[in-house]
Amino acid sequence: MNTDKFINLFAETIEVESSGLTLETKFRELEEWSSISIMLLIAMFDSEFNKEISTEDIKQCNTINDLYKFATK
Amino acid sequence: MKENLVLEGYGITLRRLTSDKIEVVRQWRNDPKIQQYMVYRQEITPEMQKKWFDKINNDNNFYFIIEYQGKEIGLVNIKDIDYENKCGEDGIFIYDESLLNSDVSIRVSLLMRKFVFETLDLEYEYGRVLKENIRAIKFNLYMGAKIDDSHSDKDCIFVKRTKQDYSSFLLINKSLVKTLSK
Repeated sequence: MNTDKFINLFAETIEVESSGLTLETKFRELEEWSSISIMLLIAMFDSEFNKEISTEDIKQCNTINDLYKFATK
Repeated sequence: MKENLVLEGYGITLRRLTSDKIEVVRQWRNDPKIQQYMVYRQEITPEMQKKWFDKINNDNNFYFIIEYQGKEIGLVNIKDIDYENKCGEDGIFIYDESLLNSDVSIRVSLLMRKFVFETLDLEYEYGRVLKENIRAIKFNLYMGAKIDDSHSDKDCIFVKRTKQDYSSFLLINKSLVKTLSK
């Protein structure tokens, strides 16, 4: 999956507009970010990448790029 | 009545509220950052708090102090339990601002639902959320609750979660439950 597709998938998952997002976006600073976003990201990694991401892993990530690297490593 | 009831799971400890902790809860509850999300928003005095505790300190109400990583961070409850109709009203607040929008509220909710539906064996729980508290409404809906249109209020949305809603949530969110169980 390329980075553009990942940004779109991230936006769709946590229900934000993808137009303002870049790899450098600090996702926790998004107005829409909430506890629910964590649940949705865990489900997204499971269904789209067949990967288990823990809440600790998410805590280690600051930007969308950090999540992308985790998804594609 | 079991006074020293402790629930543990999902990285969270819930300790049943005791009289020595009601003052700290009163201070949390009177803080404007918490008060703004409450239906009752008047200042609570120590006398009112004592009276309230005497009224809820029984097995029709379970209030727990939430502990996370050794720190007391908030309060969660199931109250007004009707054992005949197997239902009760739920509620939660996280006082520690650094933990808002984190996984902690999910952890607490999962542990509390386990207590409500598996230990107390209730059939459903209900709650009231201020209409302007969009995050809390969304959170309830994502955690399996549904809007209950049979009640109406100018300030609040009513939500209801059945034992079946809880079971479905666990089934659909296996990966989430697994990661939070570690």
